Amino acid sequence: MKNTSSILTEKVVNSAINSLRKKKRIELLSFAAIAKELDVGIDELSSFYTTTEDIFLKAQKKDWESLHRYWDKQIKKAKTPGDYMRAFEIFFERFVETLSKDSDLRFELSCYLPACVKFRDKNRIKVKEKFTKLIKRGWPGKDEKVIQRQSELVTVLFYGFIDHVVHIPKNERLKILSDFRNMLNLHLQDRKFF
Amino acid sequence: MNVDVQKKVKIIQKSMDSIRKMDKTVHTISFIQLAHEMEMPLNELTDFFLDVEDIFLNEQKRVTRKIEAHLEKGIKNCKTPNDAKDLMESSVLKMVDLLPDYSDLVYSAIFYLPKCLAERDRTKKYYRQKIRIIIKKGWPGKIDSVLDRQANLVLLSLYGFLDYCVKANKRERKEVLKDFNNMINLHLQDRLFF
Repeated sequence: MKNTSSILTEKVVNSAINSLRKKKRIELLSFAAIAKELDVGIDELSSFYTTTEDIFLKAQKKDWESLHRYWDKQIKKAKTPGDYMRAFEIFFERFVETLSKDSDLRFELSCYLPACVKFRDKNRIKVKEKFTKLIKRGWPGKDEKVIQRQSELVTVLFYGFIDHVVHIPKNERLKILSDFRNMLNLHLQDRKFF
Repeated sequence: MNVDVQKKVKIIQKSMDSIRKMDKTVHTISFIQLAHEMEMPLNELTDFFLDVEDIFLNEQKRVTRKIEAHLEKGIKNCKTPNDAKDLMESSVLKMVDLLPDYSDLVYSAIFYLPKCLAERDRTKKYYRQKIRIIIKKGWPGKIDSVLDRQANLVLLSLYGFLDYCVKANKRERKEVLKDFNNMINLHLQDRLFF
């Protein structure tokens, strides 16, 4: 069950996103307007967030932390190459399933706001490390250099996939996910990769 | 290049250097501040650009115009499947080669500035259309629905690659470019894709 503060922070994020969708300009967002809309004091908002940028940063962190927790559990459970391949695939499924209805705006802000960009870069390294581990165990027999190159390429493609999937309607996301996973699988099975 | 265009390009370059030095989020920079940082009279800036957003939009368009010209000419001269395959590779290379030193800055701002975001959407649609034509010519025999799906996959891969390139150095870009082209080729040759 959600506690009061997590309900409030969720409302704050939604309010900020809605406002941004209407006004198109982040400089037009204010703590005062959000507090007024949610009928809470500015002090209460300030106890959770330092700036409007902080609202988006914390939301971004929360989404990724939850995704990593889920992914780590799947990786921990894996024993065989098949399990690792499944953990690799499950990550993409979970990512698409848990995208919020405002994922387009959240994505755009994560590429623009400096603190969010910094987090995005850090998280990208973390995601790549996990891809490396999964490729190594799910598609065994590759040498270290190939693993590094393939995990770099998979990471590159995944970030393109994010950009694409957040900008298309929900019902089209699963279709492209299936094609995307097939493309990655074909690439990872490629014995000529050297 | 005529004198005005040369001057415009110089101002763009100088603006990017100054914006990086100012270490501020783009929406917090005013034209007056920028002119001051660039040690340039304000009217010299306003002779060419309407505001900071206009500088970024011009830079974005400067690069895409060149890629569009390359694609249009390439498609027009495509006679054989191999010509189309070469065009696919040369277009990706062109995109990478055209990235200026400050491409990370432009890339990030595009996600926030409304006119740049609209231009990004337009470009994406344009690229998708051209990629579809190139796939049709380069890998003949595919039905329309496969062409659509593969064009989407190539497009999202391309945007992932650009996202990587804007932050990578030239050596890193070249390394991934080779693997990227191989992967796209492998995917487009996939006879099992249905």
